[in-house]
Amino acid sequence: MKQQGWGVSTLSIAGGLLLWEGASRLAVENSLFLAAPSQIALAIVNLAVSGQLARHVEISAAEFALGYVLASVSGIAIGLIMAESERAKGILQPWVSGLYATPTIALAPLFLLWLGIGIWSKVLVVITLVLFPVVINTEAGLRTTSERLIEMLRSFGATRRQIFVKISLPSAAPFVLAGLKLGIGRGLIGVVVAELFGSRAGLGQLISQSADSFNMPNLFAAVVVLATAGIAMTAGFSWIEKRLVPWTRD
Amino acid sequence: MAAVAPKLSVSGLSKSFATLEVLSKIGIDIADGEFISIVGPSGCGKTTFLRIVAGLEQASAGEVRIDGNLVKQPGIDRGFVFQSDNLLPWRTVLNNALIGPEVAGAATPQAKSRTLDLLKLVGLAGFEHYFPRQLSGGMRQRVNLARALAVDPKILLMDEPFASLDAQTREIMQTELIRIWEQGRKTVLFVTHQIDEAVFLSDRVLVFARRPGRLREIVDIDLPRPRALGLKRTPEFVRYVDHIWSLIEEDVRQSVLHEGG
Repeated sequence: MKQQGWGVSTLSIAGGLLLWEGASRLAVENSLFLAAPSQIALAIVNLAVSGQLARHVEISAAEFALGYVLASVSGIAIGLIMAESERAKGILQPWVSGLYATPTIALAPLFLLWLGIGIWSKVLVVITLVLFPVVINTEAGLRTTSERLIEMLRSFGATRRQIFVKISLPSAAPFVLAGLKLGIGRGLIGVVVAELFGSRAGLGQLISQSADSFNMPNLFAAVVVLATAGIAMTAGFSWIEKRLVPWTRD
Repeated sequence: MAAVAPKLSVSGLSKSFATLEVLSKIGIDIADGEFISIVGPSGCGKTTFLRIVAGLEQASAGEVRIDGNLVKQPGIDRGFVFQSDNLLPWRTVLNNALIGPEVAGAATPQAKSRTLDLLKLVGLAGFEHYFPRQLSGGMRQRVNLARALAVDPKILLMDEPFASLDAQTREIMQTELIRIWEQGRKTVLFVTHQIDEAVFLSDRVLVFARRPGRLREIVDIDLPRPRALGLKRTPEFVRYVDHIWSLIEEDVRQSVLHEGG
């Protein structure tokens, strides 16, 4: 069953690429509007050989990593505080919910104005996108800790601290990881869009520069690299999840 | 029995939630090594009673003493076996069973080897490193029992531990519990809905009535030990069951008719 699923998926991808190749060669013809997969592959190779790709990837990766790590650490911390104190939750909850629902990416031009064209404006955009799902999931995970499990530990005379360490933290772990996983996709979007608004280098900058010069193969090359990074990171994360919280597998 | 000091002594125990009186002036002395069951209709406060003895809830009046010492909060002199197994899904069977000693700061190698013996005793040899999701309901309840026993409690408190098991598994678990209990003869307080389960397991059955929850009658079960399942088909056994049923029948009927069970 699973084997067959894999086969079908591979066929589907291969068929899609073929259609794409055929469409762009025969139907569209004008490479101003669409680049064929073969052209994109060639563009990636050229960009890689010239060293341009590495430069762009490096910048974007640094922006993403800095923003992601800062947002994860502070997001988990804020989530912990909100779960521990009703008052802190009362103060922070409206902001967290409000900002989570806001497309904060629209603030990117403002951040650019504040922090300049360098990487920190992008880092801030990534933070605003990654932080809130992490906060919300951490808080929810800690708060939904099963009362029955807490009571079980309490029956042995456990202290609050023991309950927190032995029950609350591990039962919140799957939620925290889900929030972090959600943050990968959001963070990548943040990097690219923030770079589109203004930057000296990065995959988003490569995209806007290629669009300005009608270089579709390069534009698609950047998109493909981004997609690959997103898929790889999410898959890697699922792998980590399976090992860290195996009990949520089913 | 009157000559020795009781293991567990409950006197004048009452409990109210707001204006609702759940338990009214319960008094009972239980000797060391006695197996006591508590039966009664829904809402008779039998689980609340057990939870107060465990220290998970506070009484409104009256007191609970173990070996003469006043009970105020939970502690490892009591082991609580819950209705739902409450196993931690991220811990193995062994580490679940060890959590009591761990909380008490006594997770020593000795505690570990004793817990391994207990897992063997409850029939889980070879499953020490399994995770709860890999076990059946009956096996999970065995871990639940081993976990309570791992702190070597003076009193074992069991809250309908077999209620969620299917009928056949429940019967097996009853005989298993008897077998395990025969090894150490700990004092047991066992709450159940099943009258036959109470009679089968116990030295004495406390029959509770409802509104307010109170001790209606103490039935001495004078059946020989060790007991096997065949006992359930003897006339003496059936007589005990009938007698207890007659004590709670009216209460049950009322609760079913007026509150939909």
